[in-house]
Amino acid sequence: MSSASVPNLTSKSSHPPGDFAIWIVIYVELLTFGLLFMGYIFSRRSNVELFNASQLVLNQTSGFVNTFILITSSYFIVKAVQSIKIMAKEQQEKANLLASKWILSAMFLGLIFLGIKVWEFSHIFSLGITLSTNSFFMFYLMLTMFHFMHVMLGLIIFFNIYQKMRLHGYSLKDHSGLETGASYWHLVDLLWIVLFPLVYILR
Amino acid sequence: MKYKLEFIWLSLVTLSLFAYIMGQVEYFPKLFSILLLLGTLVKGQLITDYFMGLKSVRLKYRLIPTLWLGIVISLIAVAYYLPYEASY
Repeated sequence: MSSASVPNLTSKSSHPPGDFAIWIVIYVELLTFGLLFMGYIFSRRSNVELFNASQLVLNQTSGFVNTFILITSSYFIVKAVQSIKIMAKEQQEKANLLASKWILSAMFLGLIFLGIKVWEFSHIFSLGITLSTNSFFMFYLMLTMFHFMHVMLGLIIFFNIYQKMRLHGYSLKDHSGLETGASYWHLVDLLWIVLFPLVYILR
Repeated sequence: MKYKLEFIWLSLVTLSLFAYIMGQVEYFPKLFSILLLLGTLVKGQLITDYFMGLKSVRLKYRLIPTLWLGIVISLIAVAYYLPYEASY
């Protein structure tokens, strides 16, 4: 996954990590979120004061904590892939055990992310804010709820990966499924990396 | 580099912390927005290169998310900086 685990640093791999189908999904998701980001920023132009005032309702601290959580969980996932790539040749059982601990830690952080988002949504809804309140909240709720669903899907994928790890199912030759899940999770992280400054900070 | 991955993680956290601190400042000058967008560009590239592992695959696979980042951040900057008419 990371360059640290690539045996030959001079040659480039002919395929990205994981199943190629996930990369089609990743590119489509990038396009979809890219259009939503454009919708947000160009809508903002027509009513800057409203967007700036509405943004004050959001909790920047929870946005930052969630950024920290996703970055750290992504790091844990890279460590899980590394564990399999580096150790599985010699000790497959031990490699799977170690990787499963990294995956569980990442899942735990993913759950905290969801918990914070639920708390944030309940605060927003308790103020009587809905999708139709104004353009800012329409985009905010659409973007963050769509992202929320991606995090949930990521956790479901990791749960399945974890189940296979418990059976020591990943080896040096067969760990494409793990890399596929990892690539998806990094996409979720990448999207949040743009979403956080755009919606919470930029004014 | 032995702790390359840890360095990447720390860089990502530090850049995010700077973004958060900028958000806490009441007066938000234009310079902040430039720094914020540049920081986002760097973070995105670090994730695609080192977490997604695209630095070690053929350029065409790396180019798509890199172009996406560049285009999205540039358009955000354009929409942010272009003069607009205030609505009343």
